[in-house]
Amino acid sequence: MKKHDLIGVSSNFSGYSQIIDLYHRFKNWEYGEIDLSIQEWFDANLCSALGSVLDELSEDFKIIRISAEGRTREILQKNSFLSHYGYPSIEDRYHTTLQYIKLKPPETRFFSNYIITNLLKRPEMPTMSRALTKKIYESIFEIFANAQIHSESDFIYVCGQFYPQKHKLIFTIADNGIGFKNKINRRFKSNLTAVQAIRWAIQDGHSTKTDIPGGIGLAILKDFITLNKGMLQIVSNEGFYQKDEQSEFFSYFPDPFPGTVVTVEFRTDDPRSYSLASEKNERG
Amino acid sequence: MEEVVINIYNIVGNSLCIASDDGEKVYEQIKKALNSDKIAKVSFLNVEMLTSAFLNSAIGQLYRDFSEEQIEKQVKFADLDPDDLATLDRVKRTAKSFYEDPDRLRKSIEDIMDD
Repeated sequence: MKKHDLIGVSSNFSGYSQIIDLYHRFKNWEYGEIDLSIQEWFDANLCSALGSVLDELSEDFKIIRISAEGRTREILQKNSFLSHYGYPSIEDRYHTTLQYIKLKPPETRFFSNYIITNLLKRPEMPTMSRALTKKIYESIFEIFANAQIHSESDFIYVCGQFYPQKHKLIFTIADNGIGFKNKINRRFKSNLTAVQAIRWAIQDGHSTKTDIPGGIGLAILKDFITLNKGMLQIVSNEGFYQKDEQSEFFSYFPDPFPGTVVTVEFRTDDPRSYSLASEKNERG
Repeated sequence: MEEVVINIYNIVGNSLCIASDDGEKVYEQIKKALNSDKIAKVSFLNVEMLTSAFLNSAIGQLYRDFSEEQIEKQVKFADLDPDDLATLDRVKRTAKSFYEDPDRLRKSIEDIMDD
C-alpha cells in the first residue's frame, strides 16, 4: 500500500498540479493499493478531474481507498463522489452540490436530464434573468458537446458546486481522452505544444473536424465568461489556460494531465447580462 | 415553391438541442427538402437550448452541399430566439469561411507556431 496526500486542492494551477502529480506518481505502478488522503479542503467541482484520473489509475488493477474528514468529506458524500469509493451518499439538504457523475460521450439525454434535475428545476437557484440562465446552461452544454465530439474519451466526468453566498456557480467537465494537443497535431500533422494547442482551440472557428465546420463552442464560452466576469480554465495535456476578470494567462505543467479539464465559474448575480437581446426586446 | 415545416423539437425529441448527431438528423431533413425543390421552414418552436455543435451539423454543413443563394432562398427560420439567431449567424459565417477557404485552418496553425 502506498499513501498519497492531496492537501488544500482548489480550482487553480496548484490544485490541478496536485491531481496531475497523483496520476504520474502511480501511473506505472501495478496491482497495488493507493491510500489517498484528502486533507484540509477539496473544491467539489474538481471531483470530475480527480475521478477521471482515479479511473485511469484503476485500469491497472490498482485499488483506490480514499479518506477525508469533516466538511470536505461531507461535501464529497453529498455530491456522491465518495459513493464510488465505498462511502454512503448523504442528503444535500441545502442543495448546493451538483452531483458527480460519469457518463459515456453519446449519453446526451442523460446529461440533459442531469442539468434539468440539478439546475433548471432547483428552486434554490438564484433568481437570474431568463437570458442569463439560458447563457449559463448553454455554456455548460457547449463544453459537454466539445468533449463529446473531440475527446475520444471513454467517459466524461461532470461535477459542480453552487456557492449561494458568493453568488457563484462553478462547474467542471473532465475527460480522459487524447487532449487538444494530440488531436490538433494529428489532424494537421503539426507540432504544437499543449499551450499553443489551447491558444489555437479557443479562437473562433478553429476546429479539427474535417468535413463539418465547427470551433465556435469554446469561443462562445470565452465571450460569455468575459461578459459575465466569470472565470474559464482549461487544462489539456501539459497546458493550462485561465481567463478571469483581471487577467488571461497560459502556463505549463511539468507533466501532462491525461485528458482535458474545463472549469467555468459563473457569476449568478451579474446584472450586466440582463441586457441580452431577447430581454432588451421584452423591455421594449 | 412548396413549403415543408421541419419541426426541430419533434426531430430531437425534447427542448434541448445539444448533440451534433441530433443536428445531423435535422440536416438530413433540410437536405431532402432542398433536393426536392421545396422551401424548408425550420421551426425552433419550444426549443429552449441550442449549442453551436448542434447548429454546425444541422445548418453549417448545408454550405458544403448547396450554394449560399440556394440556402438563402430555400431555408427559412421561424420561432428562433434573438440570442439564438446571433449564434446561428455565427455558425453560418464560420461555415461559409470553412468551405470557401479550406487552407485557412492550416494557415492558422502555422501562425500559432510562428508566434
